[in-house]
Parts: sequence; structure tokens; C-alpha cells
Amino acid sequence: MNVRAIVTIALSCLLTACGERRSSAERFAESGILVVGNNSEPQSQDPHKATAVADGKIICTLLEGLVRPSPVQDGDVLPGTAERWEHNERADEWIFHLNRAAKWSDGTPLTARDFAYAYQRLLHPQFAGKYAEMLYPLLHAEQYNKGRCDWEQVGVKVIDDHTLQLTLSGPTPHLPRLLLHFTWFPVPAHRVEALGGMLDRRSLWTRPENWVGNGAYVIDAHRFNDYLSVRPNPLYLRAAEVKNRGVRFLPIVNGYTETRMYLGGKLHITNNVPPEMLAYARSEREQDFCRDPYYCTIFYRLNTTRPPLSDARVRRALHLAIDREALVNKVVRGAGVPTTTFTPPGAGYAVKAPAEPATQAEREDEARRLLAEAGFEGAKGFPVLELMTTSRDVQRVMAETIQAMWEQVLGIHVDIHSCEWTAYKAAQQNMEYDISSSSWSGDYLDPATFVELWRSGGGNNCTGWGSTECDSALAAARATGSADERRAHLQQAEECMLRELPILPLYHSERTYLRSNRHVSGWQPRLLDNFPLDAVEVKP
Amino acid sequence: MIKLLFKRLAQGALVVFVLETITFFLVRMLPGNPFLGERKLPQHVMEQLNALYGLDQSALVQYFNYWKNILTAGDFGPSLVREGLQVSDIIATAFPVSLWLGVLGMAIAIVVGIPAGMLSAWWKNRWPDTLLMFLAMLGICMPAFVIGPLFGKTLGMHVPGLSVAGWDNPLCAVLPALTLGLINAAYLARLTRGGMLEVLSQDFMRTARAKGAGAVRQLFVHALRSGLLPAVSYLGPAFAALITGSFVVETCFQVPGMGLHFVNATTDRDYFLIQGLVLCYGVLIVAANLVVDLALVALNPRLRSQGAA
Repeated sequence: MNVRAIVTIALSCLLTACGERRSSAERFAESGILVVGNNSEPQSQDPHKATAVADGKIICTLLEGLVRPSPVQDGDVLPGTAERWEHNERADEWIFHLNRAAKWSDGTPLTARDFAYAYQRLLHPQFAGKYAEMLYPLLHAEQYNKGRCDWEQVGVKVIDDHTLQLTLSGPTPHLPRLLLHFTWFPVPAHRVEALGGMLDRRSLWTRPENWVGNGAYVIDAHRFNDYLSVRPNPLYLRAAEVKNRGVRFLPIVNGYTETRMYLGGKLHITNNVPPEMLAYARSEREQDFCRDPYYCTIFYRLNTTRPPLSDARVRRALHLAIDREALVNKVVRGAGVPTTTFTPPGAGYAVKAPAEPATQAEREDEARRLLAEAGFEGAKGFPVLELMTTSRDVQRVMAETIQAMWEQVLGIHVDIHSCEWTAYKAAQQNMEYDISSSSWSGDYLDPATFVELWRSGGGNNCTGWGSTECDSALAAARATGSADERRAHLQQAEECMLRELPILPLYHSERTYLRSNRHVSGWQPRLLDNFPLDAVEVKP
Repeated sequence: MIKLLFKRLAQGALVVFVLETITFFLVRMLPGNPFLGERKLPQHVMEQLNALYGLDQSALVQYFNYWKNILTAGDFGPSLVREGLQVSDIIATAFPVSLWLGVLGMAIAIVVGIPAGMLSAWWKNRWPDTLLMFLAMLGICMPAFVIGPLFGKTLGMHVPGLSVAGWDNPLCAVLPALTLGLINAAYLARLTRGGMLEVLSQDFMRTARAKGAGAVRQLFVHALRSGLLPAVSYLGPAFAALITGSFVVETCFQVPGMGLHFVNATTDRDYFLIQGLVLCYGVLIVAANLVVDLALVALNPRLRSQGAA
């Protein structure tokens, strides 16, 4: 090819691109493909290796569990791979009847053995599944995961190719909601075995060229840090109901870039508009701006093993001195709901915070009184504490605001220590901190995903706090088959924790994002941000 | 010349080896590990993961295994965060993107920076010099995270064909390359101006003018060769840095290049990926410096005689 030919081709490309007036979002919409911002490059499409929310969104398009989320009502479940199920009175033994027409995308029939294989793989003591705990409700699952019993003792039984029996360690009336989480999805045993076997963590079965799934889509292409696209799976059980012709996930970490890309016509739905850009995004695209409740709480953990935070009066004083309304309005720019409780409302659950003074001025008086009662009259003798945050802008500004509130109201000083994410997590999990900014988002739509955190010695408690009353209430919640009783026990556990306050709840998070009203229809907000993308229609 | 080449190659290999060794031990001293997540992993899972990737062995054993795998099997190890991906796969996917962007950026830097420096030196202390050096100073002072979004907002959103961010058509490279290029053009302009000013005040230039050489002949035939020396010294490492990607520019324009990995691999404690990237960057820096050394020898006859000596 001579130089003239190269120049001609380059110029043609340039002129074609310059002549193209449609944005890429418009072009994809004309092809029926949905383009969504997905926060970060996925760690894996293997449901047993993935842990991030961004991974979950992709996996939920590629694989389907025994049940699937309803596109109509948040929290409702519909038959997925299982066409029906029943359970005993205690709700600790469930039988799922699989749809006989269910197939993997390569045409291999999907059987109950694939589910059993998947559960054994995630729990296998030599597989090192990071999210194996999600399957601990299964009878003896924890013991098997720790190498203390055989797989045969675990509560998973294949009755026949189309019938799966799950025996749980206690009553679990909310099991269908748990099953929506990708850790409960099947994997194609025949494919995994052909490409390295059950225990091979480096297996390449999830590469686009090897992919076999049972979800609404199959992987079309994946360019690392660029995009992952999926196309409809013709062998999906409800292939005719898929409303679009594919989804393109863009791993955009930076919220500013993502918002600019949306405004520049590159996306149909963004993942997140950062607080600093809320006003701008809203003014630019009022009709596309969305603010939805999210099953997530922002709070501060207190290390209760270190004085003076070991004193509940000091913790309550810190709690009362924070003006949450001001914090949410000025720092988070309204993208949250101020709270003094931990579990976000939803899933038919709400908890009452202990009675507190009505106005902020009264709360501050009470805070000063409690601090004095704890032996720090006028903050005299109060040590300098360290407030650890991540390096995210909003976290740092929030820390500075709360630092100023404590200084102003209580006269105490805290030092802010902002560190990068891994160092921050290491310090938090090893309890090498005084006060740590934290957040928790639910894995499934049930209050237990929040309240169970405060079990004494629980892996994610990380405050050193524990209470017999809270533990008993949690144990009672696990032991009952009645949904009402269970809810009451969980409320009791959370109320107990809120009386002692090993944490300072700040606000329930809200998702702020942009969604093209022109190109997208059928989308509904979900507390877990898990709306099934196959139910989204893409209009040109 | 050959002797110089071998000497520099040997020095380069030593530099890369020392760099890789220091990195190996430093990253393992950072707090945390690659398997930390939002949720705390049970102790037995953490132990299994460490054993699986050989991280349960002493750092010294890991170090010897690392080199053994590279030298015997060409295996740079797996990504510890994105399991199933090899470090070599990640670099092989990202490097061509950064290389393309770096070459474009460098081309822009050279085409804009060197002529600007030459003109500035020619019209020393006159208004074109003041204007060009003001622009160069602006380019040096304005960080990429300001210039990038500014280009995205002004050009990307309004000029047909240009892209605000993303990597889905060939013209997506224009704005990130322009951002990288103009920042480096600013440095090049100042270095070229400095080099040219020094040369233009030399006796041989006065002689050339006295003999009636025109402006073009003075600049391009007599002054350019020596005047470019400071810029050429800068170009080598700058080129290596450009083709290995820029975290800020890649983040602003959503470019799937190497720059993102440099930062993310460190914050994620993806040990093998960090080492692979450092190795890649080290080799490129050494190679670029070697090319610069050779170019300087070619441009400057005095260096040639020193090399021969």
C-alpha cells in the first residue's frame, strides 16, 4: 500500500467521522443497543470470583438463578430457571422444580446438577471463594467451606435432573430474595470442567470465545478497560421477552468523565453523578436527571475498644453533635436522606431510633451534658482522635465538616487522616483506627443484610462492639419461620445497637444519575440498583 | 560507537534489574493486600488465596520464583485482582492504545513546540516571543486535569466528529493526543528557545550572518542542529512517559491505556501487574535514553570524539 492510498483512507475516515452528525448514543439506540456506565472494569464474569457491584450487574444479564427479579415491583421475585418451588412450614427445606426447557447457550440442557456443582464450587475449601459466606444459610455450608465436613453433608440435594432440594440451617422465609444474588446462580459444569475444572481459579471459561450461560444475554465482546458488550441469548428461556438487542457496559470510574460523556451523547444511562456536578447535570438535563433511593447507609464506625470511645456517653455525644441536615444539604448536595438509624427503609422494614431531643440546639446541649458526664467537662482532657477517611473528595469534605461541628459544639479536636482505599480497608478491618468513615450497601433486599453486621465478632463489625441482647435477638430472628416475628427480632437487635451506638449513622444514600428519556423506556428504580436490563426498551 | 552502545545497554539492564528489585520489595511493604475488599474475608479464605498465588512464602522465595518464571517461561504472573488475566495480556491490550496516543501526542508536541521555540528565539524579546512564551508557560502551568475536561467540554461536545471521551472511533484519539501534545509542546518550546538562543549568540552564527545567510539558512542549517540538543535530551524520557500512558488524560477521556493501570494496580496491590508495568516502563525509559544518547552523538561531533576516546 503506497503513501497516497494510506492518506486517502485516513482522509476518508476523517471525513466520514466529521460528516457523522449522530452521537454514538443515537447510533447505538438505532441498533437497539443500550449503553450504560458501569463504574469500573469488572473483576470477573465468574459469579464465584466476582465481588463488586459492577460485576454483579453484568453477571445478572449473563446468568439466571432459580428465581429472577420482577421488572414490575421491587423485591418481588418471579420464576427464573425454576418454574415453581415449595417449602416446609419452618421454611428451612425448599424444593425447586426446574423448567425442563432450560438450556445453556450452547444447547446443553441445564439441570439441577449445575446448581449443585456451582454451590459446591463456591463453597469448596480449596476454591477460596471470596463471597462463600453468601451461601452459609445452607445447612453445614460454613463447616464444609472451612474443611470441617464433607460435601454430602451440605444441604444441597439433587433429587433428579429437574428437582433441587435446599436444606437450610434455620428458617429462611426470605430465601427467594437471597437467590437473586449472583452467588446463587448456576455455572455450566460441563464448560468449567472442560476448561480447567472446578477448582481452577485461572480458568478461562468466562472469556467471550468460551462463554456459556443461561441468562438473557451472552458475552459478545470485551475490551479491557474499554467496554463489555452482551447480545441476546437465543436459547434463553424467555428470549422472546427481551426488549433490546444488547447492552454495552462502559467501565467509567470517574463520575465527572461519565457525566461529560452522557452530555456529549455517549451513554444512555450513567452510573453516578458526583455531588459536585449535581446542579450542573440537573440544569443541563432536567428531564433526564434521576434521584432514587438506594439500599445503602453512610456512617462512621467508632473503635469501641479504645478509650474514650469505649464510653457509650462519649459516642452519643459525638452522635448528637452532628447536624445531619446541614451535612446532607451542603456537602452531599441533597443526594441522601439524613438518618439516625442504620438499615435503610424498604423491604417492609423500618426501625425507630431511640428518643432524642427535637431540635439541633437541644441535641447539642445534650451532647455537651453527656461529654461532661463522661468526665470531659468543656472537653478538658479529651484526647485528640483520628478520623480516617478514603481519599474521595466527598469523604474528605464530609470529614472536615464533621470535624468542624465537633470542634464548635463540643470543643474537641479530631485529626483527619485521608488514605488510599486499600490502606484504609486494611486499617479498618484490623481495627487500627479511632473513627472511620464507612458505608454499607445491601447484598439482597432484606434488613438482615444490614443488621447481621452487628453480631459480636462478626467479620464486618470492625468496631469491637458486641452485646448479648443484640446477639440473642439476631439468633431469635434466625430461628423463627414467621416473617413478622423475624422482623420484630431484627428491629430489636438494631434498636439495641442504636442505643449503644458503636457507629454514627449519617445518611441513607440516594443514587443520582442521568437516564435518557428519549432513548430509554421501561426502566424503574430499584433499591439495589438491579433492574433487569432485558426489560429495558431502547428507542431510536 | 558500538562500545558506547554496549556500555549503555549493560547500564540499562542493571538499572532495570535494580528498579524491579526495589519495586518488588516496596510493594509488599505497603499496607493491605490484593484480596482486600469491601467485605472482610474470612481468615481461611485469605490463607487459601495467599497459598494459591504463592504469597504465603517469604518475600525472598517469591522474588526468586518471580524471576525464575520470567526467565524460564516468559511468565510475568497473573493479575491478582482480575483473576484469569495474565499481566502480559493486560499490557498487550493496553500498550498499543497508549503507544498510538503517545506517538500522536509526541508528533503534536514536536510540530508545535519546536517551531514555537525557534520562532521565539529568533524574535527574542519581541511580541511574538512574549506571546509564545506566555502560551508555553500557560501550557506548563495548566494541569492535564484542567486542559482535558476543557477540551472535552468546548471541542468534544461541539465539533462534529470529535469525541468528548471514549475510544469507539479513530477520532477519539484527537483530544487526548492534543492534551498530551500541547503540554509537552510547552516544555519543548521553552527548551528549544533556550538552546537556540545560546547557539544564535555564538560567533559562527555572526559569521554566517556576515556572509549573508538568510533567516531560513541561519535557523535550519546553522543553528537548529546544536540548538535542539536540550530538546532532544528531553524528548527521550518524555516519549517513554507518553507511550506508557497518563493516568489523568486516560481518566478524563476514558482511554483504555496503560496509565490507568499504573495507579489502579498500586491502589489495588496487584503485585504482579505493578511489577510488569514497572518492568515495561523501565525498559522503555532505558531504550529511549539510549536512543537519545545516540541521537546526541549524531548531532554533536564533540560527543562523537569523546565516545571514540
